[in-house]
Amino acid sequence: MIKRKNAPSLKAIEKINFISPVKIQLGEHTPYFWMKEVPNETARLDFIFHAGTTRGSNLISSLVAGLLFSGTAKKTSTDIHNELDDLGAFFDVGLGHESVLVSFYSLKKNILAVFKIFEDALEHVNFPQNEIDELITDRKQKLKINCEKVGFLSQRAFQKNLFQGTNYAHQTELEDYDSVRREEIIEYFSKNYKNGLRKVVLVGALDEVQVTEIAEKSKKWCLPEKPLFENNFNNNKGVFQLEKKDAVQSAVRIGKTLFNKNHSDFLGFSILNTILGDYFGSRLMKNIREDKGYTYGISSTEAELAKSGYFMIGTEVGSAQKDLAIQEIKNEIERLQKDLVPDEELELVRNYLLGQLLKSADGPYAMTDLFLSVDAYDLDFSFYESYIQKVKNIDAEELRALAVKYLAWDSMTIVIAG
Amino acid sequence: MVKFERFQLSNGLKVIFHKDISTPMAVVNVLYDIGARDESEEKTGFAHLFEHLMFGGSVNIPDFDTELQKAGGENNAFTSNDITNYYDVLPANNLDTALWLESDRMLSLAFTEKSLEVQRSVVIEEFKQRYLNQPYGDVWLELRPLAYKKHPYKWATIGKEISHIENATMEDVRAFFKKYYCPSNAILCIAGNFELDFIKERVNYWFSDIASGKKPARIIASEPKQIEFRELELERNVPASAFYYAFKMAERKHPDYYIADILSDSLSREKSSLLYLKLKKEKPFVSEIVAYITGSIDEGLFIISGKLNDGISFEDFDNALWEVLNEVCLNPIEEKELNSLKIKMQTARAFQEQGILNRSMNLCYFELLGDANGINEEHLIYEQISCDHIQSYANELFQKTNCSLLKIKAQQA
Repeated sequence: MIKRKNAPSLKAIEKINFISPVKIQLGEHTPYFWMKEVPNETARLDFIFHAGTTRGSNLISSLVAGLLFSGTAKKTSTDIHNELDDLGAFFDVGLGHESVLVSFYSLKKNILAVFKIFEDALEHVNFPQNEIDELITDRKQKLKINCEKVGFLSQRAFQKNLFQGTNYAHQTELEDYDSVRREEIIEYFSKNYKNGLRKVVLVGALDEVQVTEIAEKSKKWCLPEKPLFENNFNNNKGVFQLEKKDAVQSAVRIGKTLFNKNHSDFLGFSILNTILGDYFGSRLMKNIREDKGYTYGISSTEAELAKSGYFMIGTEVGSAQKDLAIQEIKNEIERLQKDLVPDEELELVRNYLLGQLLKSADGPYAMTDLFLSVDAYDLDFSFYESYIQKVKNIDAEELRALAVKYLAWDSMTIVIAG
Repeated sequence: MVKFERFQLSNGLKVIFHKDISTPMAVVNVLYDIGARDESEEKTGFAHLFEHLMFGGSVNIPDFDTELQKAGGENNAFTSNDITNYYDVLPANNLDTALWLESDRMLSLAFTEKSLEVQRSVVIEEFKQRYLNQPYGDVWLELRPLAYKKHPYKWATIGKEISHIENATMEDVRAFFKKYYCPSNAILCIAGNFELDFIKERVNYWFSDIASGKKPARIIASEPKQIEFRELELERNVPASAFYYAFKMAERKHPDYYIADILSDSLSREKSSLLYLKLKKEKPFVSEIVAYITGSIDEGLFIISGKLNDGISFEDFDNALWEVLNEVCLNPIEEKELNSLKIKMQTARAFQEQGILNRSMNLCYFELLGDANGINEEHLIYEQISCDHIQSYANELFQKTNCSLLKIKAQQA
């Protein structure tokens, strides 16, 4: 007879083998990382530029990021897209506060050819007026549509209050589009791309010759000086309500500015954050979804910036239950500040986090991203060795002290849209 | 090439084992051959509501998630119009925990009145979040019944209306479990660095004593051939008018399915498709336009959708679109473009095949379609498609009488 009542015995994770990519220095402030242990035909090539929204106007940075493949004197944007298609390549451009990430995905045999198309497109982009106009029309429509979403509205208002007083708080309004000049776009591009390359990342079992060729040809874009970032944020505390007529759900964002991996409390706080809201069995999910049924989902995150970071709880709840839901969020935070996390729950979270770390290190792509997430803060894989130790050894008293220190309700920015 | 082994337990459970020596993780994927198309029209949204209840405790285990998290794993599930799929990803040395959990909930559920009540509320909030509180969110609730008159694809997986979920009773839910959640209606895939003998032994241990159940006979109303153009215009409080042209297309196993898939890729190429060049670049009718297929097992939909620019009327756009579609029917695409589409598919496949979770889900899905090895054979079908095939299928597809058009008229514009 099978003993179904008893759980099978659990085995601990023996060891995680971290593999660092090879580092090649492209310029004084621009490293090039190459992960060559890839057991298949795929490759990814990333370029990280010092061209995020805080480098100038939010609007211009976002238009430039959308126009990197808009055409040269010899090629239209359609030509460039066709050439990339012919190589089976995919690409995407991600714009953040502090950087722009351009990623290409293709079979490894094509990645050098993909790079050459990118090199030409970037080196000679001339921002045709018709492409600018087309993008502006699209973006205006998208912004109008987004403004119909309570999630978008609350996120915008949250960021505004979180980063108040810095250019991280700046956001594009519809009317800003009417005064865009092509010269601003060209100027922004020259300043932040042509001399703005911060990092190159290559994942793929390529020949060394190809890796070197990409390196040599990327050098011309290297950032000439060490990038500087804002580190002094002070979120606007209190409750901010945005009215959206007819909304059947309200979007709620609760959080504050915090820190990144360089802070001594980062590791402990990340475990506390998991318990509160960063996995399916978290206290917020258990209470607000699985017990009360107020929402489809609720989570908390610990986000990082180059010199800072922030904490945020996000959810969308039935409009009639929004006050009840916020009260329950407050209750859960207070519970962490008053009571010790029970052993059984802490044990579960330890196991869960180690299992998730093993998963985050599974395969060359995941391993590279794991590496990048420490390299961004001038750390290396030894960070995860400390993380493993912290997960194994943190106790309930320390977690409670962290909750008291960092989760005071009156230190939060609370945004409700709906 | 995705290598795998197959075996079946005496209770009818089909098992696929996929060995991957490179990963420290294991995947346990269970596909149940039950989707929204199996629901009755008076009780829609059940397959999906049920998916939620599958986490509410089984006969010997009060909390599914907790036990898996203790083992360092995580899980999720999704429901479509065709299937319900559950997966667990966890460190390989704790594989037994996932088998214990999945076998127990296949054996019998033990959710309470309270978990039914809570999950009803959660699903209602999901309904609001995805379908009611988003601009254009209700499009699929409207488009499905326009395109399908008899076939159960006429309702969305979330259900036709909230009341069906609100009225779900304990009795309904128990009957649903009994009918659909049994070994003979499931496909299990295990992936990771294991030996076949070990997997056979562990699967037998956990699953062989579950009563086989009877594979439910599938009686689905077939959709009569569409012979008239259908059109529905709705006014909504949105900033831009939107259009959804839905053409009936071949079922999943038909050779034409693959042709439709490539044709949709061709019409969706960023900055270079004919739709883009004619309807956005040459004349700015639209701000966005895409083509895609629903990918359903029974007769599916080929969708062309997008949003109109300010000041453009549906009528002007409609004329221009049909002109472009006529062009697609008259002129075959160039060999060069077809090759480019095929290379792109190959590349996408190479990336998708990297993760064991994707491979496991696909192995189960292809097994459901008839043969797990389809995962290795499908690209051969795509490779044989010619420009003529595409042109000829376009002529069949882009007939006005094969089309249902949903127009969302912007009140704000």
